[in-house]
Amino acid sequence: MGPLFPQNIITEPVNLLIAVLIGTGFGFALEAAGFTNTRKLAGVFYGYDFVVLKVFFTAAMTAAIGLFFMNYFGLIDLQLIYYPSTYWLPTIVGGLIMALGFIVGGFCPGTSFCAASTGKIDAITFVGGVFIGIIGYGLVYTPVFSKLRASGKMGRVNIAEWLGISDGLFIFIVTIIALVAFVVVTKLQAKWNAKRSDEFLDDLGLDD
Amino acid sequence: MKKLDKYIMGLLFVGALILAFLPNKRYAYHQIKSKDLLYKTNLNLRYYSTDDIAKAIISKDPSILLIDVRTPKEYADFTLPGAINVPYDSITNTKNLSYFKQDVYNVVMFSNGSSLADEVWLMLSRMGFENNFVMKGGLNQWIETIIRPPRPTNLAGQKEWEQYEFRKSASAYFGGAGGQVNSNPTAPTPTPVVVPQKKTGSIGGCE
Repeated sequence: MGPLFPQNIITEPVNLLIAVLIGTGFGFALEAAGFTNTRKLAGVFYGYDFVVLKVFFTAAMTAAIGLFFMNYFGLIDLQLIYYPSTYWLPTIVGGLIMALGFIVGGFCPGTSFCAASTGKIDAITFVGGVFIGIIGYGLVYTPVFSKLRASGKMGRVNIAEWLGISDGLFIFIVTIIALVAFVVVTKLQAKWNAKRSDEFLDDLGLDD
Repeated sequence: MKKLDKYIMGLLFVGALILAFLPNKRYAYHQIKSKDLLYKTNLNLRYYSTDDIAKAIISKDPSILLIDVRTPKEYADFTLPGAINVPYDSITNTKNLSYFKQDVYNVVMFSNGSSLADEVWLMLSRMGFENNFVMKGGLNQWIETIIRPPRPTNLAGQKEWEQYEFRKSASAYFGGAGGQVNSNPTAPTPTPVVVPQKKTGSIGGCE
């Protein structure tokens, strides 16, 4: 019965080794989905390529459905899996800042490392920016950010519990939303691409 | 939309649909309710008397497992024959929990008085383990009743005399007063060296 590390079934070095293997798979999947291309990544915000949304929803729902089935059949104990407490205000503020950086730079932090490892110069610059941002945040944390960081504490929130419905029902609702979103964005993408000329699309460097 | 996309979406939908009807599954780390625990404690069925334990040790009863819950130092000083040491602060080590989790032996715990063994019993019963018992009175009672049994008064009936006889023989079995105090009870006691008296010649007498 999982999870392995919180129950000391595996030691920490083995845990880190498994993390390396999972990270390798993750980087491979991101590159294979084209997430090292800034045009594909920022396409969500401009409306010509919704691959980010599709991949994200597919990954999240597969993981959620798989985990809850494993929990039901006794392969894993969900209560032992760590997730951090919710601070709603700093999360919203941080999300807005990250969205701004995403649109301007074309990468989010994870994909920037993926692209930097393929050798893209703009990704390496983005990584440099990430480091400067983190160090700067750490240097001015106490006077500027500490109050914001501690505000809006809600403890460890489980949305299904918070709404008062069962876990399975909540996942079903989110899956329905995801599937509707898939259909809608596919239509949107087709409509957008049909309006543009072929040269414009070739210039963007996209396929499909 | 490509065929693969439709296939993946269909799979997710079916999975989520099944999940929607499944109940919440939470694995409770097994604990009995406090009301049940209080009831179990008040019943006082957890006690084994020192006589029972003496009988079990003498007859080599295989179903009783004696566990000394004191510190290792106290265990080394003096303990009951055949007792295992599981100190009270390492009860929840997974190695030691296996002693308490099983349903083959009756585990009888003891300490100097009753209170430490009772506390351990309470903790184990809360975790839902059955088959754990306490020797009433602990080692203090053991010494008072088995090793140095009190002689019955004139008014005592036959049962008390029989108990006294049993206790006296048990006391002899366990090594008399003090029990297993010395670490190697089979060490030979030094016998006094007998120096043969030199027979002196008779003084006087016939010459």
